[in-house]
Amino acid sequence: MSGLRLTRSYHFSAGHRLESPVVDAEENARIYGQCYRQHGHNYLLEVTVSGELDPETGMAADLGRVDAAVEATVLRRVDHYDLSATVAELQGVITTGENLARTFWQWLAPALPPGCLHRVTVIETANNVFEYCGEETERGARERR
Amino acid sequence: MVYATRKFTFSAAHRYWRDQWTREENARVFGHLTVVHGHNYTLEVTVRGPVDSRTGMVMDLGELKRLVGDAVIARFDHADLNQDSLFSSGNLPTTENLVRAMWDLLVPKIGGERLYRLRLWEDPTFHVEYFGG
Repeated sequence: MSGLRLTRSYHFSAGHRLESPVVDAEENARIYGQCYRQHGHNYLLEVTVSGELDPETGMAADLGRVDAAVEATVLRRVDHYDLSATVAELQGVITTGENLARTFWQWLAPALPPGCLHRVTVIETANNVFEYCGEETERGARERR
Repeated sequence: MVYATRKFTFSAAHRYWRDQWTREENARVFGHLTVVHGHNYTLEVTVRGPVDSRTGMVMDLGELKRLVGDAVIARFDHADLNQDSLFSSGNLPTTENLVRAMWDLLVPKIGGERLYRLRLWEDPTFHVEYFGG
């Protein structure tokens, strides 16, 4: 790899609430506190890719392709939706920042050139940031390439 | 090992254009970036090292400001990047190439051991990180 990492920032707004199906209401309220109530966020999403520098274009990734992939696989599904109720692909997912970062990775990685996705960062609020870089096995394979 | 980051800002113009390509090919690959435009860039310089027990510092940030200011900011602030000698001979002033050029300018000043990362923001939606190598 070229040692270059490129990051694009996006935003979307969505509703959600945190509720685990395996515990009762009282326990949910205890675990998630105010996040058990229906609410929403202006999310920021950062997508980091790496790639070889093309000497002709001076670019290490096609940002148009990254934008299109993020729009098609993530933003179109989540922007101005209720993540905990109206997004079919998120059924059964507790929509914590951790789970969103990992799910967005799983949606996005197949839409990008193999091995180029480096990190997905979900910024739920200025105080809560969640990063996912793929599983150890994927990371190892990526770094050996 | 402690990491310290200082931010710098500068404004510069550039365009992407390859003389070897036709107008159509340039437009297809670079779109509206073929037209001269500019950005308010932000450069984050991260140095690393042990904390000096006398000063409590990894590096004198005043010295860092002077080194980066002299080698990089003075050179690129309010400049047309396409006119810089680093971006002649077909090396386009993309964010990727610019951050690598800055790395090469800063390593002799700061030292390859101390310089850990450059993060160059072209605008609030796009940045490139470079760790050397």
